[in-house]
Amino acid sequence: MKGFSIKAISLTIIAGVMLSLAACGSSNSGSTPASPDSSAGSSDLKASTKKVTLKMWHQWASPNDGNTKALREVLDEWNRNNPDIQIVDDGIDGESYKTKIKTAIAANEAPDIFYAWGAGFAKPFVEANAVLPLDDYLKDGTSEKLLPGSLTNVTYDGKVYGLPTSLSVASLYINKEIFDQNNVKIPTTFSELLDAVKAFREKNITPIVVGQKDLWPGMYWYDILAIRTAGAQGALDALNNQASFDTQPFKDAAAKLQELVAAKAFNDSKFSTGYNEMVSDFTQGKAAMVYQGNWLGGSVEDDQSLVKGKVIAIPFPAVEGGKGTADEFFGGAIDALWVSANTKYKEEAAKAVKYLTEQMSNKLYESGAGLPSWQVSGVDESKISDLTKQTVEMLKSATHTVMWWDIFLEGKDADRHKNLVAQLFDGKMTPDEYAAQMQKINEAKK
Amino acid sequence: MDKVLGDRRAIALFVLPTLILFAAIIAVPILLSGYYSLLDWDGIGEGTFVGLQNYANLLFQNTDGFGKSVVNSIILLLLSVFVQLPIALALALILARGIKGEVLYRTVYFIPVIMSTVVIGQLWLKIYNADYGLLNAMLGSIGLDSWKSDWLGDTSKALLAAFVPILWQYTGYHMLLMYASAKSVSEEIYEAARIDGATGITSALKITIPLIKPMIEVCIIFAVIGSLKIFDLIYVLTRGGPLHATEVPSTLMYKSIFDQYQYGYGSSIAIFIIAECIIFTLILQRAFKSE
Repeated sequence: MKGFSIKAISLTIIAGVMLSLAACGSSNSGSTPASPDSSAGSSDLKASTKKVTLKMWHQWASPNDGNTKALREVLDEWNRNNPDIQIVDDGIDGESYKTKIKTAIAANEAPDIFYAWGAGFAKPFVEANAVLPLDDYLKDGTSEKLLPGSLTNVTYDGKVYGLPTSLSVASLYINKEIFDQNNVKIPTTFSELLDAVKAFREKNITPIVVGQKDLWPGMYWYDILAIRTAGAQGALDALNNQASFDTQPFKDAAAKLQELVAAKAFNDSKFSTGYNEMVSDFTQGKAAMVYQGNWLGGSVEDDQSLVKGKVIAIPFPAVEGGKGTADEFFGGAIDALWVSANTKYKEEAAKAVKYLTEQMSNKLYESGAGLPSWQVSGVDESKISDLTKQTVEMLKSATHTVMWWDIFLEGKDADRHKNLVAQLFDGKMTPDEYAAQMQKINEAKK
Repeated sequence: MDKVLGDRRAIALFVLPTLILFAAIIAVPILLSGYYSLLDWDGIGEGTFVGLQNYANLLFQNTDGFGKSVVNSIILLLLSVFVQLPIALALALILARGIKGEVLYRTVYFIPVIMSTVVIGQLWLKIYNADYGLLNAMLGSIGLDSWKSDWLGDTSKALLAAFVPILWQYTGYHMLLMYASAKSVSEEIYEAARIDGATGITSALKITIPLIKPMIEVCIIFAVIGSLKIFDLIYVLTRGGPLHATEVPSTLMYKSIFDQYQYGYGSSIAIFIIAECIIFTLILQRAFKSE
């Protein structure tokens, strides 16, 4: 027993020593890229001919994501054409990425180029001076190549910090096959939507699928209803804290949402369904409608989808008596690449970001996974799917876009908003209470 | 070797690496969290010192359901001490008495412990699924259609549904600890008991349980601390939803820090959890000692 305990103690200590050595080792290797810093300044000429490696982080890792494919192609092209400036990338999916990039920026360890959402998400990064302003690098005619309005969400205090890869907009996706089989009219107004819901319920078909476990898919429903009842300008005024949420249009939107819930418009298991299950339910033909961003197009047109070619995208129905029209859209340009303020290779990184975002915009448009944020160039229009064409067609008559509210509002306010909408879905909160609670978010900012 | 272990300087030298490691990865982060909890900080820019404001928001003017999350974790604590541990103890006693296939059963019960929590979460998500889940299918096949439900999506059922996998996962762990302890009870004691006429249940109650009491106490402390800081399975199964029905302090902490950019407030929850665990441990140790 004694021999055993001595062995155990020494083993523990050895393990401890080895771990601490390993820790030293990794921190050493982590700091090597920073060490040539001192010499870089003195030999600038040399540096330009030297091989530069840019680190890039993004959230496009899932093989099913159209963005992933586009990024891979564009990155390969870049690395082939720029042997002196190689980009090494690292991607993880959505929610985990948010944590990763926030942690890295807080620790001052952001990579040279990184992906982030614009508006409220990247605002703390910009305020912490972690992002490089790009204005100086856009004067070479780049600004003119961007589509109007695509810089709204990457501009802070008049300076441009990021460049968007695509424009996204939400629309109502309709499984036309289910509608036709059951002789249901495709809704253009809210009351028609309610009628369609009732018709499907009578036939035991789930009318709408929503992934409320993740909160934001349900939020989309409230937000578009509010854009319809209050109008895009009305919604923007309230979001910008220039008008109150505690007004009739926002209560009406809440009441409309509860009308849908009461009519059993949504899937029975909405609270245990996440985004991924929502998408697979819709692409397996288990529901007639889903209200989502245009990134859904990639999944619908995927070879594994059972509804390929049977789905159409339409503007969200107008709400009778509302101030908004069906030409106002929920969305905008928010996916963007940014350059870290701490990068040693500002020039190279800015150049890479310009190239990557413009090419990704083209590629995404071509593959149907996104809408262009840049002037389209060199794209074979024949390859573009009908679903994307429908969305682009819709956007031609767009009068306004309102950015995703969870990005527009920031951090805890966005979380609060999503949770309030969840309570509307549950039916335990009245529209009056909801509107009063939303206004509290605005009041706290004053 | 005895000489070396008697030398205080040698002991200090050998303990030092582990001590440094412990300080660097446990003590320092806790102290830093304590400092962060006094800040109003978004985790990225500059924080401003606000004293105990975060704790006041947490304990007295709370709006995000912190009280409910603590109650939920206490429910889990009670369930694990009064349901999970007795089951683990019963299994350990039965296995330790040398039934047929002892090794097989021991392995089977221990498998959930070595599985990754995310895997377990995905497994139970499929079991609970409202449309094609195993549980609903089973209820349907025995004619209990009215019992079918959306287990993790129904606010009244989600809490228990989320706790079952947690209890299931760690039963094997406690069983193994108690089993190992029961195995080390000398066979001679049982022999003596048999001569005195004690059999099966009597010898388990009168001999095994009193002799492995120290291990049972350890299990209780592990179960209590584990329940108070549970995070992973809840996060995978429900993310604390629907409508905060399954919220526990650590999911709230995660959301405060990473979803709401309230690093200071989140840190105050972290400190609360640490304090809660220490207080419970002290109370339990005092209770065990006084017995």
